[in-house]
Amino acid sequence: MKHELEVRIQAWLDGEVSDREGARIAEWVARDAEAGALAAELRTVRKAMADNELIVPLPETRQFHWSKIERQIQREALPPHRSPFSWLAGWRRFRIALAGVTVLTCVLTLTVRQMHRPTFDEISATGEGMEAVTFHDQSAEMTVVWLQDNSQTSGTGQPAKTSVPDESNSDIELE
Amino acid sequence: MSTDPDYPASAEAELVRLAQKGDMAAFEELVARHRDKIYARAFSMMRNEDEALDLSQDAWVKGWRRLEQFQGDSSFVTWMTRIVINLCLDQLRKQKRQRTDSIDAFEEDGGGIERQMPVVTPNPTEGLERTELRQRIDRALAQLSHEHRTVLVLHEFEELEYKEIARRMKCSIGTVMSRLFYARRRMASLLAGLKRENLE
Repeated sequence: MKHELEVRIQAWLDGEVSDREGARIAEWVARDAEAGALAAELRTVRKAMADNELIVPLPETRQFHWSKIERQIQREALPPHRSPFSWLAGWRRFRIALAGVTVLTCVLTLTVRQMHRPTFDEISATGEGMEAVTFHDQSAEMTVVWLQDNSQTSGTGQPAKTSVPDESNSDIELE
Repeated sequence: MSTDPDYPASAEAELVRLAQKGDMAAFEELVARHRDKIYARAFSMMRNEDEALDLSQDAWVKGWRRLEQFQGDSSFVTWMTRIVINLCLDQLRKQKRQRTDSIDAFEEDGGGIERQMPVVTPNPTEGLERTELRQRIDRALAQLSHEHRTVLVLHEFEELEYKEIARRMKCSIGTVMSRLFYARRRMASLLAGLKRENLE
């Protein structure tokens, strides 16, 4: 017997076919021995199972079962857990953001300065006993580095020489 | 001065109403009344005590969270049973995805051994005491594949129509009809086998 016909017999037993089709199947089952035997088997299983489910009791006491459910309900109702050290994590996040902003500001500043750069730069650096002044003139394509020894003025608060460069303590380089 | 309601004596509708307002004691009484039924449904589908316990517990927690959605169109226990069935079906789908070689799928597509089985006569359940019949049905159900067992449970015990079973199992009505057919044929064979074992 074709499978489609088998499942039609079953659908008829389950009341899932129209009245017209049901009447046709009933007639066929009555006159065909194979169809009749199959219908009888399916009907037996259907009838045996109806209202005959074995109810397996819960293997826990009422109190224990409820306590687990109650705990889970309460756990899900709690607001998200906050660590007592969450301010530290917040501070770390703030520092990262701050560092990002600082880097961005520096990059922007340098870019702008590069765009509006003067024709000459003068950089001065002072170390212990020594002062260095670098002068760069773009138009002349010239860099002057002036080193001044201040060690002799220690304790006086006065520079050994004036900041006017002269031949004795300056070095001139052409780029 | 207000007194606590007498929960064990309260009608189910009253307990549901109180629980919907956040009364956990009322909900506890509902759990106590229906815990066996909800667990039994989970067990009948999963056939595993630990999984059935976890899923029935999850169903109660989900029921509590969604209590406001319960409109009383069906009974409370029917509504809760639908929740646990859906959780079991989700779990079974997850397990099926994890199985690499699905023997069940092979058997289902070709009809498996059910196609070769002769029709069982006479009635293998005739003359059995109800308790004995229930135990035999349970033992036979335990030997079915998840797909066959689920479709039988939903049709015979939950009395769902083909269309509703197909919707819940996320398959076609044709698949439901086919699974149900082979599941019944296998049950007939298993019940006959269990009867023979008893006679011997």
